[in-house]
Amino acid sequence: MGYDLIIIGMGLSGLMAAKTALDLGKQVLIIGKGMGGLILFSNTIDVLGKVPETLPLKDGLSHWIKEHPEHPYSKIGVEGIEEALSSFVSLFPPPYTFHSFEGRNRKLPTAVGTLRPTYLFPTTLSGGAFLKEGNTLIVGFKGFKDFYAAYMARQLKCRYLTVSFQKEGPPDLTATYLTRQMEKEEVRERVGLEIKNSLRGETLIGVPALLGLHDPMRIKAHLEAITGGEIFEIPTLPPSILGMRIFNRFKVYLLERGANFLLGHNVSRVQIKGSICEGIEVLHPPISRFYSAHHFVLATGRFIGGGLEADRERISESLFHLPVFSEDSPERWFRKNFFDSHPIHRSGISVDHSFRPLDHDGKTVFENVRVVGTILSGHHYIDEGSREGIEISTGYWGVKRLFE
Amino acid sequence: MRVRAKKEDWLKKNADLCIRCATCMAVCPVSRVTSLFPGPKNTGPGAQRFRHPEEPSVDHWVDLCIGCHLCNGVCPAGVPISELNLLAKTKYLNEKGRPFRDWLLTHSYLYGWIGALFSPITNYLLQKPVVKKLLEIILKMDQRSPLPNYQSPLFREWFKGHSSKGGKKIAYFYGCFTNTNDIDVGKATVEVLEANGFEVTLPTQDCCGLPMLGNGDFDGARKKGEKNLSSLLQVIRSGVEILYTSTSCGFMIKHEYGHLLELPGAEELANHTFELFEFLRKLKESGNLNTRFKRLSIKAAYFTPCHLRALGIGLPAFEILKLIPDLELTRLEADCCGMGGTFGFKKEKYEIAREIGNDLKKAIDRVNPEMILTECEGCRLQIRHLTGLKVLHPVQVLRDALLLRP
Repeated sequence: MGYDLIIIGMGLSGLMAAKTALDLGKQVLIIGKGMGGLILFSNTIDVLGKVPETLPLKDGLSHWIKEHPEHPYSKIGVEGIEEALSSFVSLFPPPYTFHSFEGRNRKLPTAVGTLRPTYLFPTTLSGGAFLKEGNTLIVGFKGFKDFYAAYMARQLKCRYLTVSFQKEGPPDLTATYLTRQMEKEEVRERVGLEIKNSLRGETLIGVPALLGLHDPMRIKAHLEAITGGEIFEIPTLPPSILGMRIFNRFKVYLLERGANFLLGHNVSRVQIKGSICEGIEVLHPPISRFYSAHHFVLATGRFIGGGLEADRERISESLFHLPVFSEDSPERWFRKNFFDSHPIHRSGISVDHSFRPLDHDGKTVFENVRVVGTILSGHHYIDEGSREGIEISTGYWGVKRLFE
Repeated sequence: MRVRAKKEDWLKKNADLCIRCATCMAVCPVSRVTSLFPGPKNTGPGAQRFRHPEEPSVDHWVDLCIGCHLCNGVCPAGVPISELNLLAKTKYLNEKGRPFRDWLLTHSYLYGWIGALFSPITNYLLQKPVVKKLLEIILKMDQRSPLPNYQSPLFREWFKGHSSKGGKKIAYFYGCFTNTNDIDVGKATVEVLEANGFEVTLPTQDCCGLPMLGNGDFDGARKKGEKNLSSLLQVIRSGVEILYTSTSCGFMIKHEYGHLLELPGAEELANHTFELFEFLRKLKESGNLNTRFKRLSIKAAYFTPCHLRALGIGLPAFEILKLIPDLELTRLEADCCGMGGTFGFKKEKYEIAREIGNDLKKAIDRVNPEMILTECEGCRLQIRHLTGLKVLHPVQVLRDALLLRP
């Protein structure tokens, strides 16, 4: 069967592209090699962390766009970014929704006790913005290796409590195990009481983001009723329960609207005729299946997502063999420090106004292929704090401009 | 057991693909409910780096892997985590020895027909608490686990007395459970295919071997695979395609015969074997599906079996059933029922199976349906056990929509 649109990649940009196409009534197949980056990175929605908290993000963005014409945001504009973000937020009707603080970036505490700026965050995280020395009790769980309350509390000059979850059994507890436990009322009663008895005047209580998958607001409210304090969640290491909530919401939304959802399969080949992609082949040994569509969206991310591959000589895009733009040649790649701004973090695919890939002469490579997400060139999302903003806005506009 | 030399290298290569991202830790149904199982990242590629073929196995927890394949599906690096676990489990069980119970659970094809032949007696006995208690004491089968009912006549016998109306030939791999425990699934399949103008044939077939493979008996599974291949290859070489209704049997035949068991001819067979609804969806796309459906005002919920996910064909039954007028069908937002083929029968695993199932039960309670539809027989047993609801194979509802008198 021919789809209107096949989306390759199940990260935030691919999911956003799928949502946008389904909202326009299109037949969509979304295919992912794995579950995508949401479970790894996306606890909150960073749009442009570089903009100071004193400035409305909107103003910071328009300034940024003026100074960075090559940046993906420059293809979209401030209003376009806002429209895409509201489409994302519309997936989460209150009470568990995504907010900003008065349209500005806000610093939220991380699990290692630093403060990092972000733009949109789920309701259960908002209390963290008011953390001050001494006003917060940080709560951890014994055996949960992805969150050390003592370490975080020391950095932030607060007190901590480590709750012992079980008397016997193996020492290690996983995020999904603890999340499921927190969904049980009797467990919350016990944990809540232990927290209450440990409070020494603190009004805020920070817990790792494990307050259930289905109804975190109810769990938060229950713990608040027991403890008398305000509970907030702190993002943990992967697997991110916050990211899972986003992924699960997309999945329900997309499947309800008739998307075909193929998780766990690799696109092994694309069939090209001239400047048109006719279809993709998915190999699930020993079977290979062919799917055709009028249009395609490439949303495979950069190196961790598998969209780009690098060796000593070059960086390549493995599926469509699209030209990859890099700022510098490999012999000038050496940097002294791991986190130095590195040119490899700016390489990616260049696109035109409709997100069609361009070659080095600025000519369109494929007529019916759109490229969205972090695989695009012209940005350094780690440095800018712009990962989710780029994913959401390019995923949205890549599809919107295609069908309008 | 013959895990071939190639596998040693294969294991290391695949374990090294892991980037430790922990996506698999987000979906594992076992580590979600128990801290006894450290999760796929640790039991699969993590522990693999410490395993040596000459050293004894020390990782007893690998036996708690339920074999759902969900971790494989979400891994961005393409690590075959389930297979790493299965091979480690095989080695562990080879050293530790398997209880007679495991033999019994994996050889139901030997005695299933006897159970069916004397079904009134078998069913009476299997429901008796004292018998269940004895099974628990002697065999370590949990007395609370959902034992299947046996039915007679066998599906194959029913089919002998069934007269076909002719048409294009299509072969049906019904699997053991349909033959002895759920013969209406077989009947419904035949009736649906006939309503679409096909003549159904039943090729010679044996247990697909999945229960053995899941319990780490590669040799037993290979023997079953070889037997099925010799019969089924003849069928496809005569120009007849093969359909299956059990997603577990189907996954075994299509993907494990070649990939894990390295059986010759497996690829040819895989390319001519289709899930029933995948086949019906192809008919629909070419405009040849009989869609003269009657109204069925039923509120049903659909559950996706793990092996259907692993097949990578989407949700064809859900797509086809959506065409039935008045049928209110909701997809259940839950992963894995906890049964894991034979996992949930075992005394030491029953609690884990039930806990996993309880998450599914909660998802069912949120929908509050009249009945549940799912392709896998293990899931059907487990869901009936957990909810007491009517649980059917999707083909049974499709048959009703096509043939039931109004």
